[in-house]
Amino acid sequence: MKYALLIYDDDSTWVDLPDEEKAALRAEEMPMWAALFEELGKADSNVSGHELDGRHTAKVVSVRDGERIVTDGPFAETKEALGGVFLIELPDLDEAIRLAALIPAAVQTGAIEIRPVLQ
Amino acid sequence: MKYMALIYGDASRWESSSEEEREAVYGQYRAFGDAGGAAGVVAGGAELAASGDATTVRVRDGETLVTDGPYAEVKEALGGFYLLECESMEEALEWAARIPGAEHGAIEVRPTYVDPAEVQL
Repeated sequence: MKYALLIYDDDSTWVDLPDEEKAALRAEEMPMWAALFEELGKADSNVSGHELDGRHTAKVVSVRDGERIVTDGPFAETKEALGGVFLIELPDLDEAIRLAALIPAAVQTGAIEIRPVLQ
Repeated sequence: MKYMALIYGDASRWESSSEEEREAVYGQYRAFGDAGGAAGVVAGGAELAASGDATTVRVRDGETLVTDGPYAEVKEALGGFYLLECESMEEALEWAARIPGAEHGAIEVRPTYVDPAEVQL
């Protein structure tokens, strides 16, 4: 079964930092992410991941009666925002839960939503 | 530059659709995927199972907490996404407006994050 691991985290802790401080923060977290990537790669060598830019960069588009409407996003005003997605092929939900708990964003502040991917 | 187009819509609308209506919608998505693929714009994507099938995981004080259901109970939930390879946000919005879900729900478009440290390499 293919699963999407949707990463929800509060981006306000880092998104407005200067690039230098952002880079330092990322360097600090990198060992945890590297350990995660190794585990994900062991589980599925075709795993893919996409990290989204901060929610202030979001635009929302809809079409009503043929007219395109664009507003500043994000679409959902939740405390934590979607920050990234992993797509991974796993034997079962238990394995998805085990790997989700290794995602640094799951620890202390954020949450990981696991959703099966339909074919 | 890669953009993610996040498709938000009312899942109850989908659940109350007939088999025939669903086939028509899938046909529209296939047409979008074909057009986007031919233009070199659609670089990936996924259709997610309904948010009722979601499981949410948190780790607090070293303990893994697992709950049934999505991270947030909302009327219009994330139903899937496309990864778009576009020159600009404007181009990404043009393509996003062609996603069938834009007619009823809404598409959130966000650039994928580029690490400033990686850009300098």
